[in-house]
Amino acid sequence: MKTKKKLSETIYDKFSIDFLRNQVLKNAYGNDDTVIAKLDPRILLVWYLFIGLVPWFVDDIWFLMACFLLVMVTTKLARVAGLVLLLFVVGVFTQTGYLFVVSLFFGGDASTVIPLLILTLKVATCSLASITVFSGLDPDRLSNGLMWYGCPERLSFSISYAYRILPMLMEEFQNILLSYRLRGNPPASGTLVGNVRYLCYQVNIVMHSFYPLMLNTAKRSRTTVEALEIKGYRYAAVNREVKKMKLSTLKVTYTDLLFLAVSFLWIALSVLASALF
Amino acid sequence: MEFAKRQTATQSQKLMIFVLSMALYGLATLFTELIPSFQAGIVEFSVEFFLFIPLSLAMLFDPLSAALGAATGELVFSEIMLGQFGGLGELEKFLTVTIGVYLAGRMVSDPRNRRMVGIAAFTGTGLQLLMSMLVDIFKVQFAVEDFEAVAGLPESVFATEGFAFLNDLLFSGVLFCLLPTLYLVPKLYGKIEPLLGMRPRDGKTGFGGVNVKIVVGACVAFAAAAGAELLATSGISLFEWEAGWAGSSTALAVGMVAAAVIVVIALLVLKARAEKGETVQK
Repeated sequence: MKTKKKLSETIYDKFSIDFLRNQVLKNAYGNDDTVIAKLDPRILLVWYLFIGLVPWFVDDIWFLMACFLLVMVTTKLARVAGLVLLLFVVGVFTQTGYLFVVSLFFGGDASTVIPLLILTLKVATCSLASITVFSGLDPDRLSNGLMWYGCPERLSFSISYAYRILPMLMEEFQNILLSYRLRGNPPASGTLVGNVRYLCYQVNIVMHSFYPLMLNTAKRSRTTVEALEIKGYRYAAVNREVKKMKLSTLKVTYTDLLFLAVSFLWIALSVLASALF
Repeated sequence: MEFAKRQTATQSQKLMIFVLSMALYGLATLFTELIPSFQAGIVEFSVEFFLFIPLSLAMLFDPLSAALGAATGELVFSEIMLGQFGGLGELEKFLTVTIGVYLAGRMVSDPRNRRMVGIAAFTGTGLQLLMSMLVDIFKVQFAVEDFEAVAGLPESVFATEGFAFLNDLLFSGVLFCLLPTLYLVPKLYGKIEPLLGMRPRDGKTGFGGVNVKIVVGACVAFAAAAGAELLATSGISLFEWEAGWAGSSTALAVGMVAAAVIVVIALLVLKARAEKGETVQK
C-alpha cells in the first residue's frame, strides 16, 4: 500500500511540464557523445531506410528477431531518454494487446497470438530504429543529412527551429496556464459529479490558454520570419552554393562504413540461420 | 490566374503562417503524445488531437500554409523529436492532416459566419479521421500474412477501427475541434491578422469556396497517402521473391555472410591504418 502510494507520488512528480521539457531537451541535445551520434547522418538514414522498411515485407521469424535485436543494441548505444522508451513500450503493447482482446470477442483463439506477435515485432523494430536515428542524432546533423538527400529546406528549417522554440513555448504555455489558474475558481472535486466538473474546468482552461498563446506566437513568428528575411533566407534556401557550404561538414569515415558492414553481417547471419533451420 | 489574384498573403507572410501553425500545433501534439488516455467502459477518452489550432488558423489565414505547417509541426515535434517517427506511416498522417485542414480552411469564406465555421471544422475533422481509419485498415491487412485466415482478426480490425473513428469524431471531434474552433475563430478574427501585417479575411478577400479542382486534388493526395501504405501490395510480391530466395539457396546466404565478414575485417584494418597514419602525422 505504501509503495503504491509512493509510486503514484513519483509518477505525479514526474509528469510536470518541467519534467517533460527536460526530457525532450535531454533527448535532443543531451547525448551527442554516443557512438550513434558520431555516425554520419547520411549513412544512418540509409541504414534506417533498410531497417524501417524491409521488416514490413518479410515474415521470416529469424530475420525479424535479428532485426529487432540489432535495433535494441543501437537504441542502447544511442542512450535514448527514458520517457521516450516508456512511450514506445506503452504504445506498442497497448495497441496489439487491445487488438488481441477484441479479436477474442470475434471468435479468435490462441492461434491469433502468433500473427499478432509478428506484427508487434515488426512495429517494435521499426519504431526502435526510428528512435535510434531520430533521437540519437543531433537535430542539426539530422537536418543536414535530410537536406543532403534533397528533402525540402523547409523541413530542415522546421527541425532546427522546433528544437529551439519548443522550450520557450512550453514555458510560455505553462505561465499562461498558471495565470488562468490563479484567477480562476475551480469547482470542488471529490464526488463523481465534482470530479467531472473539475475535469471539464481544466480542459476548458487549457483551451482558453491557447488564445493568448496564439497571439503571442503570431507576433513571435513574424519577428522570426522578418529576421530570416533580413538574412536572405528565402533565396539562400534554394541556392546551390549555400547548400554546398552548409553540407561541407558531412564526412563519411571508416567508422560509418564499419557500422554498415557489421549490421549487414548480422542480417546476413540471420538469413543464413533461416536458410539452415 | 484567378487564384493568384485573390491571394492576399505574400511569400513571407505565408512563411509566417507556416511557422505559427507549426509551432502551435507541434506543441499541442507533443502534449497529446504525452498525456495518457483513460478509458471509461469501452469509450476511450483521449485528448486525441488539438486540431482546432490549425483549423482556426486555416480559416483566418492562407489555408495551404496553415495546413502544411500543422502537418510539419506534428511530424517534427511529436514524431521526430520524441523519436516516434514511423517511416511511411507518417507520410499518410502528414497528407491526411493537410487535406483535412486545407479543405476546412477553403470552405470558410467569411470567418464571422459562425455556422459555416462550425460546419467546416466538423467536416475537416471528419475527413481526416475517415481517411486515417481507411489507411489503418489497409495497414493491418497488409502487415499480417493471411489476413483473412486468422480467426476473428478481420472483423476485430474493422470493429476497432470503426469504433475508434466514431469515438474520435463524436468525442474529440466535438469537444476538441468544433467547440474550441467556434470559440477561437470569432475571438481571434481581426486581432491576430494585424500581428502578421495582414488584412482580415472577409467575403471578398477570401479564396472562393471549394470547387471541383480542389476536390480532385484532395482525392489525388489521399491516393498518395494510401499509396504510401499500399507499397505493401508490391511488398507482397517482394516478400515472396525474398522468401523463395532465402529458402532455396543456403549457398547464397553463406556467401553473404562471408562477404560481410571480409568487408568488416577490411574496414577494421583500414581504420586502424588510418588512425596510425594520423598519429604519425601528428
